[in-house]
Amino acid sequence: MHSLLLAIDPYVIWFYRLTGHAFPDFLIGTFVLAFATLLIGEICISVVFLICRQHIDRTTAEMVRYQNLSEDAQAAGNQDAYRASNKLANDAFGRTFFMQIAFSAAFLWPIFFALTWMGSRFSDVEFPLLFTGASVTYVCVFIPLYAAAYLGFKRVKNRLPYFRTIKRMLDSSDGNPRDLQEMAVLRPASRQTTV
Amino acid sequence: MKQNKWVILGLLAAVAVMSTVLLASPAAADKLQEAIAKTPQGVGPGMIDPKGEPGFLGIPGGARPFWLLGIAWGIWVGWIFSTVGAFGGIMAGVGHITVFGLGDYAKTFKNTSPALNKLLTDSIRMSNQFLVGLSALISSTTYYRMGRLVLPLGICLAVGGIAAGVLVPVLTAGKIQLSHYVGYFGITVLVIGGFLFYETTPRGQASKKAAKEAAAAFEREHIKKGSSGNGVMDTAMGVRLKQWGIGRTTFTFYGVEFGFSPILALIGGFFINAISSFIGVGGGFLYVPYLTSVAGLPMYIVAGTSALAVLVGMISSILSYMFVKHVPADLMFIGVELVGIAIGSVLGPMTSKRIPDIWLKRIFVVLALYVGIGYTLRGFFDLRLPGL
Repeated sequence: MHSLLLAIDPYVIWFYRLTGHAFPDFLIGTFVLAFATLLIGEICISVVFLICRQHIDRTTAEMVRYQNLSEDAQAAGNQDAYRASNKLANDAFGRTFFMQIAFSAAFLWPIFFALTWMGSRFSDVEFPLLFTGASVTYVCVFIPLYAAAYLGFKRVKNRLPYFRTIKRMLDSSDGNPRDLQEMAVLRPASRQTTV
Repeated sequence: MKQNKWVILGLLAAVAVMSTVLLASPAAADKLQEAIAKTPQGVGPGMIDPKGEPGFLGIPGGARPFWLLGIAWGIWVGWIFSTVGAFGGIMAGVGHITVFGLGDYAKTFKNTSPALNKLLTDSIRMSNQFLVGLSALISSTTYYRMGRLVLPLGICLAVGGIAAGVLVPVLTAGKIQLSHYVGYFGITVLVIGGFLFYETTPRGQASKKAAKEAAAAFEREHIKKGSSGNGVMDTAMGVRLKQWGIGRTTFTFYGVEFGFSPILALIGGFFINAISSFIGVGGGFLYVPYLTSVAGLPMYIVAGTSALAVLVGMISSILSYMFVKHVPADLMFIGVELVGIAIGSVLGPMTSKRIPDIWLKRIFVVLALYVGIGYTLRGFFDLRLPGL
C-alpha cells in the first residue's frame, strides 16, 4: 500500500468496524468514505472558484452577451447577425467548457485516492447481483453511495457557514457557471423582448 | 424540463445498469494477473521481476512514474484546458504515452507478452478518458442545467454515443498494439492541430474578425432602436417540438424554427464518441462544431445538448472498459494527475491575460505538428523524433 494510504488506513478502516456485521459495516464505512471524499472535493472546487472568480465572470459574460445578441438577432430576423453572434457565442462556450473541465479536477481527485484505498482493502470482495449470476466489485458500491451522499449534501450544503459564505460570494458575481440561472433571465428587464 | 430531466436520468441509469449486467463476464478472471502470468520472468526488457517493487497498475518491477512528474504534467494539462481549451486532452495523452514512460514500458512486451502490451495500451486509452471525460461529467451537468435541451436531438446523439461507447471497447480492447494506438493518436493530433492552425491563418482570423464586426454592428443598431426591436416574438418561449420524423425533425426556439436529421445526428454521435472512446480525446471538441453545423443551433441549445451527449458517451465508454472488458487503471496515479490539473486550472487564468490568444494557439499548432508527425512516424514506421 502506498505510504499516504498507509497513513490514513487506521482512521478509515475504523468506520468499517462499527457494528461487527460485515455487510452493514461495509456500507457504513463506504458511505463515510464517500462523504469525506465529497466534502474534500467540494472544499477544493470552492477554493478554485474563489481564486478564479473574475476570470470565470469574464468568460461567462462574453458567452452570455453573444448568446443574448444572437437571440435578439433571431427576433429581428437578421440572419447574418444571428450567425455571427452565434459563432462567437459557441466559441466562448467552448472556452468555458474546457475551463470547467479543468476546474472539475479539483472536485474529482479525492475519489481516485478513495478508490485506490478501497482497492488495497477490498479488491477480492465481490458482490453477487441477484438473478443474474454476475457480480460487481467495491466500485459499484462506492458509486451509488457517493451519489447518495452528493444528493443529500446538496440539500444541506448552503446551511453550513463556509458554503453559505461561498454561495453568497459567488451569487454576487455576474456569472458563476455552477449557479448560473437560465440565460434568458440574466438579461436585464429593459432588454427583454416583449410581445 | 424537470420531467425531461428525470426521463433522461432514468434512461442513463438503465443503460448503465443493463450494459453492466448483460455484458459483464460472470466471475471473470483478473485479466492483468493472467497477462502477467503469461509474461517471462526476469529483469530484462519485456520481462517481469516477481520480486520487484510494484509499479504501474501494481505490476511487480513495473514502470514507476514519479508522482511529482504526474502533478507537474497535470499542471501543464490544466493550464492548457483553462487557456486554449481543446489541446489539453492531447497533452494528457502525451503524458501517458511518452512523459511517464508508460508507452516505452508497454512496448517492451510487444514480442514477449503481446497480451500485456495490449492490456497496457487499453489502460493508457482509458486513463486518457478518465482524465478528460470524467472531468467533463461535472462541467456537463453544469451546462445541462443552464442550457436548453432538444430532447429528440439529445436522444439521437446519446444513442449514437452509447452505441460507440459500448462497441469500441468491446471490439477493440485487447486487440490494439501500443504502436498502432500511438499512430492513430498521432493522426488525431494532426487533425486537431489542423483546426487550430486554420484559426491562426489570415483567413481564419478574418472570419472571426468579420463575425465580431457583424455582431458589434448589430449590437449598436439594436441598442439604438431600444428593447423591443423590430421582431415579434412567439409567446411560446424556449424549445417547442413541432414535428418528429426519422428523416427530419423540426422545433422552434423563441418562435424561430430549426430542423435536423435524426439519422445524421445518430451517425454523428456515433462517430464522435467512437473517436473519443478509441483515442481518449476529442469528444467535447467535436460536438459543438458538429451541432452548430448540423442545424445551426443557438449556443443556448448547443450547451445543454452537447453536454448530455458528452456525458452519456463518456459513461458508456468508461463503464465498458472497466466492467465489460476489465481493463485495469492506476487510479492513484490518475488522482495525482487530477491534483495537477486542478492547480493548472488556477494558474491558467492568472497567466492568460499576459499571453495573447493568437500566440498561444501558434505555440500549440507547432506542438501539435511535432507530436502528430512524431507519433504517426513512431506508430506506423517505428521512427522516433527526439523526445517522443
